[in-house]
Amino acid sequence: MTATLTPRRSTEELASSRPAWQKRITSDRAARFTFYVAAFALWLVLAGLFERIPGPPSVVDRLVEEFRRGEVFGNFADTFYRFGIGVALSIVVGILVGVLVGLSPMARAFLESPVMVALSIPAIMWAFLTVMWFGFGHTSPIVTTFLTAVPFMIVNVAQGVLGVSRDLRDMSSSYGVPLRRRVSDLVLPAVMGYVMAGIRFVVIMGWNGVLLAEWFGGSGGAGYRARYWYDANQFAGFAAWVVLFVGVIIILDQLIFERLSRRAFRWRDAAH
Amino acid sequence: MSNPVIEAPPTAPAVTWQEGEVLARRAAARNKRKRLALLVAGWVVLLLIWQVAAYYLPFGTLPNPLEVGAEMWEIIASGALVSDFMASVLKTFAGFGVAVLVGAPVGYLMGRHNYWKAFFHDGVTVAGTIPALTYAVLSLIIFGLSNLGPVLAVALVSTPYVAINVAEGIRGVDQQLVKMSQAFGRSQQQIRREVYLPTIVPYMFAAVRMSFAVAWKVEALTEVFGGTNGVGFQIRNEYQLFNITGVIAWMALFIVFMLIIERLVLRKLEAKVLAWRPEERVRT
Repeated sequence: MTATLTPRRSTEELASSRPAWQKRITSDRAARFTFYVAAFALWLVLAGLFERIPGPPSVVDRLVEEFRRGEVFGNFADTFYRFGIGVALSIVVGILVGVLVGLSPMARAFLESPVMVALSIPAIMWAFLTVMWFGFGHTSPIVTTFLTAVPFMIVNVAQGVLGVSRDLRDMSSSYGVPLRRRVSDLVLPAVMGYVMAGIRFVVIMGWNGVLLAEWFGGSGGAGYRARYWYDANQFAGFAAWVVLFVGVIIILDQLIFERLSRRAFRWRDAAH
Repeated sequence: MSNPVIEAPPTAPAVTWQEGEVLARRAAARNKRKRLALLVAGWVVLLLIWQVAAYYLPFGTLPNPLEVGAEMWEIIASGALVSDFMASVLKTFAGFGVAVLVGAPVGYLMGRHNYWKAFFHDGVTVAGTIPALTYAVLSLIIFGLSNLGPVLAVALVSTPYVAINVAEGIRGVDQQLVKMSQAFGRSQQQIRREVYLPTIVPYMFAAVRMSFAVAWKVEALTEVFGGTNGVGFQIRNEYQLFNITGVIAWMALFIVFMLIIERLVLRKLEAKVLAWRPEERVRT
């Protein structure tokens, strides 16, 4: 009877019986590396299959060319100026309105529909409308960034404020904890995560918004330059700018945001 | 915040429980009416601000709500609405189909094996942050002016959502159930089909609902850049004619349609699918 069963071993035994090279190949770092190699290979294959997709060499050529001509820094300076103002505005306004919506049920009922409508308006609409309203210039991308991003901030902050434990709030009010401490020890730590998530949404949505507004506005910036290549049917130039867009958003999201959120959650993660 | 103890209604205390129930029901009805009134007030103020802005802005920059309403009615009456929305919806759902076909296996692997989790992790997070503009234009470059462009864009946008959700779902599978199935000598395939698969389905559904808003916007965006029919195509046409009324009318229909699908269809369906899960009851 027992002979028919395969001998069972503990997971530790299984792990130690595997040779070292196998372990190295299946490690997390190796997996990531394999992914990048595979993604690059996929790009090569796609570029070979479709003639409209530019291959890596031509994209790198274009990228170097754009840097050499000095197009990159000037256009990105414009874009970051607009993006920065729009994002800062949406964070401030979003926190103010979000706290109001989270605290007062009446404000919630009142603002529910406008926020819901604002959430569902695509960035392209704001880009079209602001270009028609404000013409070419800084205003259109800034307003587009602000309007596409602010509803996400409001929703996130409101959810965070709603999530503050009712029991703890009632208890601290019955024990007469001063408002300053109540805000800094109870509300802020609970809301911080939602604010972080909100800022992340704002950055991602705002980046898309600013690029779209620049694409349709005629006043310089990264989006405008990408359109220039697209209109010229030079897809390698467009792809070079896509590499830059994506690079910027990854740097913003992974480096800055990850670090910020790790800082913000020290209190939670350190305990374990 | 109101303190329920101090601000209790100054009505006479209930003598019997029947009376108490009547009082409670009345208070609930009052609250409901108040909420409804505020909801309506929200809409009214929204329209009022629009109306006032339309009045003060220079002529032709912002049409007033009535003009937009008339334009919307014209679109509906001419039948353009049905044909264009059907085209857009079909493309969106075709894109979702592709996303589920690709994303569900990826998410399954990510949920079950650490190796595949590390492998796909960067790709999935990066794919979720790439601006929609990139997806839209890339799809156009690949497929040119055809219906496949929007389908590809929707698929690209929603695949990471599906993968992440399915991976989450797989990791949330009751491990005791898996161990018990193993102890009773069930085969790997049986465990996969009877334990893992049923848990993925609601997560896939949630992913579709979560990504619907994003996907629907990307679909329209791709059509704006190079569609041959659909909502985005119509919006681009109106924009090229500098017909702001037309742009806003199509946009309003777009929003109404999106809210109807999201609020009524998808949420109801999800509630039905997830009705057996007690922890899913959301606080109001």
